[in-house]
Amino acid sequence: MDLPCGTRNFDYASDMAVLRTRTHWLLFFLLLILVFTAPLYWSNYWLSVANLIGITIIAITGLNILIGYCGQLSIGHAGFMAAGAYTTAVLTGKLGLPFIASLLCSGLSAGLIGIVFGLPSVRVKGFYLAITTIAAQFIIIWVINHWTSVTGGFVGIKVPPATIAGFSFNSEPRQFYLIMAITAITIFFAKNLARGRVGRAFIAVRDNDLAAEVMGINLTYHKLLAFFIGCFLAGIAGALFAHWSRFLNAENFTLADSILYIGMVIIGGLGTTIGPILGAVLIRLLQQGIMYISPVLEGAFPALPAGFTTGLGPMVFGLVIILFLILEPRGIAHRWALFKAAYRLWPFSY
Amino acid sequence: MVIIAMKKLCLISTIVCLALLIIAMPLAGCAPKPEAQPTKVLKVGMMTPTTGAAAEKGRVMGHANLDAIQYINTELGGISGHPVEVLWLDSAYDAAKVVTIVKRFMDEGCLLFTTASSKEMSAAMEIANEVGFPGIACFSSPVLYRPPKHIYGQTPDYGDDALAFANFYLKNIWKGKSGKPKFALHLLNNPTGYGARDAFRAKADEMGIEIVSIDEHAATTTSEIESLTRIKAKKPDVLFISSTPAPTAVIIKNAYELGMYPGVTIGCAHASFTKALIDIAGPKIVEGVYGTFPTVLWGEDVPGMAKMTEYCKKLHPEDYGNMDYITSWAQSLIVAEILRLAVKNAGYDALAKGDAKSWQIVETQGFHKLKNYDVEGLQGPVSYTPGDNRLTKYNRIYQIVNGEIASPSKWMEAPLVEYEKYEWFGK
Repeated sequence: MDLPCGTRNFDYASDMAVLRTRTHWLLFFLLLILVFTAPLYWSNYWLSVANLIGITIIAITGLNILIGYCGQLSIGHAGFMAAGAYTTAVLTGKLGLPFIASLLCSGLSAGLIGIVFGLPSVRVKGFYLAITTIAAQFIIIWVINHWTSVTGGFVGIKVPPATIAGFSFNSEPRQFYLIMAITAITIFFAKNLARGRVGRAFIAVRDNDLAAEVMGINLTYHKLLAFFIGCFLAGIAGALFAHWSRFLNAENFTLADSILYIGMVIIGGLGTTIGPILGAVLIRLLQQGIMYISPVLEGAFPALPAGFTTGLGPMVFGLVIILFLILEPRGIAHRWALFKAAYRLWPFSY
Repeated sequence: MVIIAMKKLCLISTIVCLALLIIAMPLAGCAPKPEAQPTKVLKVGMMTPTTGAAAEKGRVMGHANLDAIQYINTELGGISGHPVEVLWLDSAYDAAKVVTIVKRFMDEGCLLFTTASSKEMSAAMEIANEVGFPGIACFSSPVLYRPPKHIYGQTPDYGDDALAFANFYLKNIWKGKSGKPKFALHLLNNPTGYGARDAFRAKADEMGIEIVSIDEHAATTTSEIESLTRIKAKKPDVLFISSTPAPTAVIIKNAYELGMYPGVTIGCAHASFTKALIDIAGPKIVEGVYGTFPTVLWGEDVPGMAKMTEYCKKLHPEDYGNMDYITSWAQSLIVAEILRLAVKNAGYDALAKGDAKSWQIVETQGFHKLKNYDVEGLQGPVSYTPGDNRLTKYNRIYQIVNGEIASPSKWMEAPLVEYEKYEWFGK
């Protein structure tokens, strides 16, 4: 791991630490202060945006483990989120199970479904695997729409607020703390997974599965494990989405969402821990920024027909994706890594 | 040492700048509420699915909403002298966006909010109901406001369509015949179809109707020959379709090919019944089909038609002839009337903050005081009835004659159905 110019670690523990320098600790404490005090100066609207970003980070961290680390393409991530979301809706809403138990069940149910749809990954890869995961997206949504007695079908299902030991997360600030805590745990888990034995096995499978197998890595086990972990996190994100939005409908989890999540991971940076965070923050803030600027432009140009800003969103998203593919195909995480490297070497240029 | 000190200084400055930037961005978006309406405006939130899966409807509806507000502000001088300020946002037909949008409406001091589609309101209603933030759904389904809370329906819902048509059929077509008429239902597999299904489940026996079959179809269906063959064997008198124009056209075309139609009477709910149905199926095939719709037709002689037509042709000529434009123009007029009543009954100052208390006042002094507001004749009269959050209870039955939607009936009142009393409702 890189260290600032002129410094080095003196033991293995410091070398493996996530926070390795005083600057890291300073930034970490600043972040903690920011997170803990955010509800004091952020409105409910901005907290809701932060909550949505947190949920998205959890979901695409799972997708990043699957695609970025293990190289298994999945275009059904929104479907796996739906599985988790409906699991918690039914368990807490209809069966009265505690939130923590239902959250874990959501992850498990999505993870197990992920294993089922990940089975073809043992035999196929690339575009062929993509098709099987698209099937997951459609099949899960079809089941939700037609299992009316449990899921509410096309009409949808109400979800109670998350509650832990009688404390209800029924307001935006409370949900903010809950979602941020789970997001932090997820990121920490992903960081450690990636640099551990399993993570290295995933990377070996991604880079050359034949070579990995020759080295003794069990391909079936690791591919299915990647599907389980990726979909487990999707299920957790889905469950949090359910308790945050308080009403579920299968239309909340579309193929377009699955593709958007892949876009976020690519823009953020595949195969990095920070990539999903940067991708989710950028795209979600861009969405909000466009929503914010549209009425301002409408007001600024009253002579133009009302609603003239409607094309802004699709145009900007298209432009961002094109620019990233051309200028920085390795995502924002790579740009961030370059910045850190330059900073650590500064004032030397080598 | 100097280099390290400079480096630290640089780092700390960067951190402080970044922290300030992160903190300042939301602050920029959440101006304090007392200043939310500095020029004594009345602020409302409007969302339309202007992009995304329902953009074809949402774009037109967004135009109409904003054009009508422009008309209210420029020609009517606002509401009791207060201009209406619209915070208009594109929901992109995305539930996650809807959740953040409705929270933004609440934060920015909007007095009420509107949605174009039942899907948008489905995503917003739990949050809005919890804090008492009143909303109006342009197109609606009974699940949005049964039992009634803080969400209101602008037009009769899909269940009302079904019952209005059934009443019309019994009085005008079945008249004089003996026995029960046999109805076959062909429903879109979402709340548009299920609203009609629930209405028949609740009222068919009481009305003396026999439901011989209930079939579902997807919005993407390309052939319903198989389902219609089964239906034909049951010899129904009526085929009722609650769907959108494209699948409705497929069903009617298939019925025509099977020789069912003409013969059986075909009735459509309002989401099926637009000019697009004639364009897709062809005028010859849909000739004589009945349909319900909650507004007047373009060109009808009603007080609000001239002004609406003028604005539409001036600002969005491409929308002329689209009945969704009429519905959303009417929605903005209803919003204005609600705010006018609230200002009249409680005064502007009571609404100035745009907070929970203001919402309660808008609801009790605005929504609940609506009584026979004629919406300039563009739709059925608007009234609030305790326990019934449908603001309009009136539909008209139209028929396609010579390739045109014509021959409107008088406004027909749709009775209140307390769906929540049925154990199957919402399950």
